[in-house]
Amino acid sequence: MQSFSNKPAQSIYSPRGCTLLHVEELTPQEKLFRFVLDDGSALGHQPGQFVQLSIAGLTEAPISIAGSPTRGPQFELAVRNVGTLTGALHQLQVGAKVGIRGPFGRPFDLAALQGKHLVLIAGGCGLAPLRSLIQYCEDRPQEFASVQIIYGARTSHCLLFKEELKAWQNSPHLSCCYTVDQAVPDCDHDTPYDGEQGLITDLFEHLFERCIFTAENSCAVIVGPPAMYRPVIEELRRYGFTAPRQIMLSLERKMRCGIGKCGHCTIEHLYCCTDGPVFWLEEVETLRGAL
Amino acid sequence: MLKQLTQQDLFELFDRLAEQYHLLMPTLLTDGSRELMPWPGSKAAAIDGIIPSMAGEPIQRKPTSHFFPQTDPLVFLKPDGTVSVPQPPDKPLALCGLNREDLAAVAFVDRFFSAEPADDVYLAKRSGALLIGLSGHCGDGSHGDHFLPLAQGLCDIELIAEEPNEEKKEQEKQWLAVVYNAVGEQWLSGFAAGSPQRLELLRHKSVTMGHQQQELLQQASRLLQADQVPDSFWQEISSRCIRCGGCNFVCPTCTCFCVQDRTTTAGTQRSRIWDSCQLDAFMREASGHNPLGTELLRTRRRIHHKLVDDPKRWGEISCVLCGRCDRACPTGIGMVAVCEELVRRFTS
Repeated sequence: MQSFSNKPAQSIYSPRGCTLLHVEELTPQEKLFRFVLDDGSALGHQPGQFVQLSIAGLTEAPISIAGSPTRGPQFELAVRNVGTLTGALHQLQVGAKVGIRGPFGRPFDLAALQGKHLVLIAGGCGLAPLRSLIQYCEDRPQEFASVQIIYGARTSHCLLFKEELKAWQNSPHLSCCYTVDQAVPDCDHDTPYDGEQGLITDLFEHLFERCIFTAENSCAVIVGPPAMYRPVIEELRRYGFTAPRQIMLSLERKMRCGIGKCGHCTIEHLYCCTDGPVFWLEEVETLRGAL
Repeated sequence: MLKQLTQQDLFELFDRLAEQYHLLMPTLLTDGSRELMPWPGSKAAAIDGIIPSMAGEPIQRKPTSHFFPQTDPLVFLKPDGTVSVPQPPDKPLALCGLNREDLAAVAFVDRFFSAEPADDVYLAKRSGALLIGLSGHCGDGSHGDHFLPLAQGLCDIELIAEEPNEEKKEQEKQWLAVVYNAVGEQWLSGFAAGSPQRLELLRHKSVTMGHQQQELLQQASRLLQADQVPDSFWQEISSRCIRCGGCNFVCPTCTCFCVQDRTTTAGTQRSRIWDSCQLDAFMREASGHNPLGTELLRTRRRIHHKLVDDPKRWGEISCVLCGRCDRACPTGIGMVAVCEELVRRFTS
């Protein structure tokens, strides 16, 4: 496998070399990869940003950073095996070299979240980018009034970060609730799934029944598949998330360059890679094709 | 600075420029079309009978392709892990004969690629390049007195052809040269001064020409911004599209690209290649989600992007009315054709 230079980038298109330190299988389709930059520097990212992961011969793919910068100079990417590059990545062994450009994009607005009750909602692979924010909240609990994680996956096989979901449920600083559309026996142990079953929005009534959400005291963050946004937003509005800068979301697009040049991630006049991927709802809600 | 040049002066200027630049001149090809080709030098040109074809059919190849070519190397990844970038050209480019529309396109793309983070691959070719605009009475006699509007500062040097004089021969054609910056001054300093009065007359003629198509674009833009164009219109237009991507590939302000790797034993050449938003896979994500998943959305996007999105982002419509997409489109749905239909149908 091709290695990459750890010399300073000569171009905005030059990848930096980094080494694969650890691989963990999350589901049959998804793995978590931990990398470190070969020049020893920290990636310097903020929660919500992404990198362009590069493998020589296979070009690049935009991947959300799945870990918080508060966890040290190493960084983690959770990647689903869906294409040529991600397929090759899934074959890599510890010690392999890949290239990285970034971090890119507008991160979660941490300043706007401070002091508030946070409702962090993820669907499917959306938990990967949201995990960077969850870890940040876990490491700096004093900055937030409360943190409620709500996660939904298609099946119990598809649940990401199963151990961490349990740890977040038991954390003194976080609340966590998750559900699956369809329960299937656990792959490894053939034990039945005993968690919640149903749509992610089914969880809201129970969780929010005694909550009073206002623009001043609360903020929701949504990361998930395109089909999830509108129903979740509609439900959130029923519970008081109606003000500007009260719902933040991260959008997935096909970013080929990460720096606002290639044109593949435009949402009307916005470039998802530089103006996003994190937006306030009101910035994109009326733009055709955004949600 | 304003200078007066004869045809002989012009050739002398070109010879001098060619020593320092890769000078490309509009040249008549055997099929009657014109293309920017290397200047062979005035002596060689005289021997071969080659003359720069300053007038004639519009040049179909977009001028911005000289700075943003169809295949553009980005980085080279060597097997030992080192990453190298393309070597800058040994001499900068000088493009001669660009009309006002083409110069406006270069200015738009300059701004796009210079926006932070600046695109070093583009700027390596663009920095130091010389743009020589062409305007005025550029008719070659066969098409009558064809007048090109003045570029007014979009280039380094503007050559303005003076009105043809029936009593003089073609070799005695006179040119006004307007110099817009210090680089231009360096090249024109030795030539005779031009007449400000004659320049003023040409400017006046240029202004009074107006531009009916500019108004058409503005009207279409206003209708789109006011959401006055229903999807049924885009459905109809998109049904005529054959998905060749030609409109994008000839457009001088289209800058979308995808990335490809080509690997040999020497390493991997990573390049960008032009892409077209009219192709189904343009925005399709790995998950299968495709924000431009229908012909209707892609056709709408092509027009909307130029007339609504770019004005919002960059403050101006990004169609420069060069006419290339209308000439290239096999089914007659280029920008002007669509705008004419749109304005005709939806203007109350």
